[in-house]
Amino acid sequence: MEPTPLLALVRSGDELAWEAFVRRFQGRVFGLAYHYTAQAEDARDLAQEVFIRIYQNLALVPDEDGCLPWILRITRNACIDHLRRGKARPPLWDLSADELFDLRSPDQSPEEAHLEAVRKTMVHRALQELTDLNREIILLKEIQGLGLEEIAALLDVPVGTVKSRSSRARLELAQKLAAAGMGG
Amino acid sequence: MDTRPRDPEALTQAILARTSGAPCRRVEALACDFVDGGLDGAQADLLRGHLAHCAACSALVRALAESGRLLPALAEADPGPWFTQRVLRSTSRRPAARGTDARAAWRRLLHRPRIALEAAYLGAVAGMMGLYAPVPWHSLVPPAQVWTAPLQGPAQRLTRVVVRTERHTAAALRRTFRPLRETAPAGLWRRAVAKVRGWLKRIEAALKQANP
Repeated sequence: MEPTPLLALVRSGDELAWEAFVRRFQGRVFGLAYHYTAQAEDARDLAQEVFIRIYQNLALVPDEDGCLPWILRITRNACIDHLRRGKARPPLWDLSADELFDLRSPDQSPEEAHLEAVRKTMVHRALQELTDLNREIILLKEIQGLGLEEIAALLDVPVGTVKSRSSRARLELAQKLAAAGMGG
Repeated sequence: MDTRPRDPEALTQAILARTSGAPCRRVEALACDFVDGGLDGAQADLLRGHLAHCAACSALVRALAESGRLLPALAEADPGPWFTQRVLRSTSRRPAARGTDARAAWRRLLHRPRIALEAAYLGAVAGMMGLYAPVPWHSLVPPAQVWTAPLQGPAQRLTRVVVRTERHTAAALRRTFRPLRETAPAGLWRRAVAKVRGWLKRIEAALKQANP
């Protein structure tokens, strides 16, 4: 179902529609929160908090194309608040990323799936080594697929900065991955 | 002795080293467009020619292409089997928000991260004013029996509310006050605590007297 009719049902109080909505976006919300916090439990709590916030502000959720960027924006804001609150606390890795990103396609053999998960874990770790702005641009543009204007508005930087930073961030990530042995 | 490079690749490197330098920086500038297919044919061919001879640039471009393939797949992660149930449980008893629910607004205010700090700050300011006021302020206030008499009911209700609230906020306040207690001059903290205890005893005695 498209987001707009689903949202209309959710707004009318249909609990099944709300469940479908949660199932539809929970992977994206949790995935983004995990990239920010690097802790599965914190990411889970934040994702839950985000959905409660959405439920309390259903009237504000934009229809159609604006829905996902809006959800990602409030997820990012929740993550930034969370990180500010615990700024002194260093990030911990409480669960290996390959368990989290183990969304294997059914036509993959177990070996292929394992290799894919290892590669994803490498990318995830390399992302944590980028500068904050570069990491956010990769997260929002390359991973979440937001447009340049949306990212510029979200990060409060000019579109040109996002554009130029995007290539630099990808290159920095690739350099870290090449140094870690990927592509060699 | 002849030191000229005999291997063609070594010769190329030697010439580049003495002329333009290695073109790897140029590759870095073009790599993203190359991977995205945004380079024109001639430039792409030139870049491919370099990649065939430069292991470092070749690894970089492969890593760039591989990360480009893997990054979109990181958009979603599995939050675990119980996540949906947790969300549904925590939203099932909440009405869809209209933004005017005073109780929800009050709850949100209490859940703000700095509420304990703000409460502690106000408490500390009030305490300091009480300790250092040039006038003994308690002598300006009529005896407790006089002003508590018409307030027996509300006072009792207020006491109950305070006790209930205290259970929730005591831990947070203790955490907030701990650094203050540890850094404050020894006598100051003791005097403040004694003063607060004195006030509480006086209020308790007045309440008992008013409502034996």
